[in-house]
Amino acid sequence: MSNTEKLIHAFSEALAVPQETIQDDLAYQAIPEWDSITHMILISQLEDTFGVAIDTDDVIDLSSVGKAKEILTKYNIVF
Amino acid sequence: MKLFNEIQANQQLRFINEADPGKVFRLEDLSLLSLPGNTRRLALLYLDNTLPAITILLSFLKSPHVCALLSPDLAPHFKDELERRYEPAYIYDPARTDITGYQYAADQPLFTRDTLKDVNIHPDVKLLLSTSGTTGSPKFVKLSENNLLENAKSIAGYLPVCGTDVTPLNLPVYYSYGLSVLTSNAIFGGTLVCCHTDILNREFWSGMEQLGYTSIAGVPFVYEMLDRIGFTKKDYPSLKYFTQAGGRLREALVHKFAAYASEKRYAFYVMYGQTEATARMAYLPPAELERHPSAIGVPIPGGTFDIDPDNGELLYAGPNVFGGYVTGINDLSDYSQPAWLRTGDLARKDEDGFYYITGRINRFVKLFGSRINLDEVEQLLAINLDVPVKAVGIEDKLMLLVTDRPEVDEQTVAALITTTLKLHPSVVKVWTVPELPLTANGKTDYTRIQKMYAER
Repeated sequence: MSNTEKLIHAFSEALAVPQETIQDDLAYQAIPEWDSITHMILISQLEDTFGVAIDTDDVIDLSSVGKAKEILTKYNIVF
Repeated sequence: MKLFNEIQANQQLRFINEADPGKVFRLEDLSLLSLPGNTRRLALLYLDNTLPAITILLSFLKSPHVCALLSPDLAPHFKDELERRYEPAYIYDPARTDITGYQYAADQPLFTRDTLKDVNIHPDVKLLLSTSGTTGSPKFVKLSENNLLENAKSIAGYLPVCGTDVTPLNLPVYYSYGLSVLTSNAIFGGTLVCCHTDILNREFWSGMEQLGYTSIAGVPFVYEMLDRIGFTKKDYPSLKYFTQAGGRLREALVHKFAAYASEKRYAFYVMYGQTEATARMAYLPPAELERHPSAIGVPIPGGTFDIDPDNGELLYAGPNVFGGYVTGINDLSDYSQPAWLRTGDLARKDEDGFYYITGRINRFVKLFGSRINLDEVEQLLAINLDVPVKAVGIEDKLMLLVTDRPEVDEQTVAALITTTLKLHPSVVKVWTVPELPLTANGKTDYTRIQKMYAER
């Protein structure tokens, strides 16, 4: 699986939505499924998927799918 | 009116909408609705925490009418069912533009019922709170103005609430804890900031910085989030105190936040309560946190605890004890406070007089801070399935749906509950067992199921 596929899979699992929903511009709270509860699940899912420890400040900054890619790039994950 | 009069008497009271922090409103600046008041009627208010919603709530507190406070995110079919059952005269719901049988007034954002029937409402009944948020339960807790006022007074009696405070309403006001933050601060506090009920929003933290919040309230999940976003690594010059209620916070976090609070000279209050007591029953004085980290503390001013010698259940008496449940419109005609509120929690008291919760008798599970009635979950399952499936809570972490029928499709059952109750799939699990354990009198043995699950 490519990193983009892994990311889409992690998002879709954490938010419990179909993979097609996961587009770069999908933002936090834009859909009812992405709330504070699923956001916390998402953070752990991304950490597990990519084997990284997401910094505290990045938890709030990770507010869209595109933003997630940007942040994960800092952790040397290439998309 | 009594409660509203107290709010109106607070000269320090101001309102700010987080979305537009430059504008400060006094109570008289808000466009409160004028509602006809000859006959007392019922309103269902689906409230988010924005200033327009708070204005509606205040309008109803000013009026003689009774209001039931509900989550705006409730599934549409639950809203329909509630409205069919209660036939409310008024509905406030910013999510809808049209409701059959209701007129929408252009000058006030409120739905009014076409054909009004007179309802017999007891003079003491003022406000209804749901017993189980997401199941759309038709069962409400009946509260009087006196309940609300007395609980607000007790809370302001032990929390350092004052007129210079800037208090974010970061918990939903349809939830008893969130409502108690509103009432106690509207009467005794200063500025109320109507804001996102979600601390993962960047706006909440800009509000903290720009408006200078003096307190934060949170259920255990809020503290889990605060911990994850590095709350304790920073300084908040305006912050005075933070409170925690709505279930037990894990002890590691109690210690972490207690240590942080004492280092920064903030006060951290661990508290205990339930909707049937309007909100609050106990609090732990911050100075006792390190010595009694797992305690719920001592009764609030005006309250008393006792422990039932027969079953170990925690009992509470105080002016904030509710006036009974409502499951239909006819129950509004009565308001009778029990002498002792049976909390449904098992407790013990230590030699210093501090109380500890040791277990639970009631059939509910708390997931991410919201209480879900397990009997109602079973009813929902029974309506939709033709085989018995039982629901149990596992340590407020998981709702376990148990069946002894191998033909049950686990995925279908899980999906039914997660979609109807809007729960995340990670907290609902279907478990097929060879045989459902029964108690001596032939009922489902839930304790045994919990043990079986722990030992699986």
